[in-house]
Amino acid sequence: MILNSFWESLEGSAFSSAIASSEWMFPTIETLHVIAIVSVVGAIIIMDLRLLGLTSRNRLVTAIARDTLPLTWIAFACAVITGLLLFVSKATSYMINPYFLFKMGLLALAGLNMAFFHFVTWKTVAEWDGSVAVIPTAAKLAGLGSLIFWALIVLCGRIIGFTLGIYH
Amino acid sequence: MASIGDWLFEMTDWLRTTSVVEFSLWISDQPFCIWLQSNFFAIPVFQALHILAIAVLFGSTLLLNLRILGLSGMDQSMTDRFARYQPWIWGGLLALVASGTVLIISEPVRNMVNPIFWMKMGALLVTIAVSLWFQSAVRARVDNWEVSADGHAAIRTGAVALIVLWCVVITGGRWIAYAPV
Repeated sequence: MILNSFWESLEGSAFSSAIASSEWMFPTIETLHVIAIVSVVGAIIIMDLRLLGLTSRNRLVTAIARDTLPLTWIAFACAVITGLLLFVSKATSYMINPYFLFKMGLLALAGLNMAFFHFVTWKTVAEWDGSVAVIPTAAKLAGLGSLIFWALIVLCGRIIGFTLGIYH
Repeated sequence: MASIGDWLFEMTDWLRTTSVVEFSLWISDQPFCIWLQSNFFAIPVFQALHILAIAVLFGSTLLLNLRILGLSGMDQSMTDRFARYQPWIWGGLLALVASGTVLIISEPVRNMVNPIFWMKMGALLVTIAVSLWFQSAVRARVDNWEVSADGHAAIRTGAVALIVLWCVVITGGRWIAYAPV
């Protein structure tokens, strides 16, 4: 693949080598990545369970969105930054790892699911905000899909830890 | 950094002289441990469940404690906020301990003959003790939260401490894999 040399040069940069060769940098960034992911997923689960009508039934969907969205975006930004730092240190190993590619695909699906919910389903939120009984199927499916995508993203992340470096 | 590494190395050496070794080797021979180790996806699946459990626990802790600190959801009463998140904190802890027990069984020697694992367990016990105090202190004042501010300073300190303590526990979990042996 023509891109191979790009990932190789990225991995070979002084910055990437510093992370890869340091005893403590990679695990420290990993730790921050885990704390960020736990925060993102924790906040998203709260919103998803509300969309499914299972929790926070006495609080408006729009209120739960206000409660969780700032945390979701701040923690997601931290997860992306730390994730990129981990990625550049071993870029070629990640790019040939199928579970890393699954994880990126699942992230894209989670993003598309959220975009559809935000730009289409959310337009009518005023009609179903107050009552759990009238949550539209589209909103429930968005919540269910989000739970499944994020659980699989976490699982792929863990499998990468066991398979990085075994593909050539 | 080198001195911390040396100290951890000495602690591992000391653990090797204790009965923790026989105990972890005994677990290694149990059928459930052998089953976990012979299925490639078993350990990552339980690790993912462990991470989802801490996500539920930590997410609920953040939403409750940020409300206590006045940083989120000020339009919701403390009574409602507490009722929504406190049960999920204990439920998350239960799932965390259950999945964590499976993970200990899955790699008993790597986990238990490991000083970082025992430091994590110590941090976990401290965190649970603080959580028990915190829950009863909040519960006692939750219905009069907006009326009377008695004891709020201690509860606010506890709210910050619990967020930090859970991050310490998570850090311990990640570093189990990097203990010098």
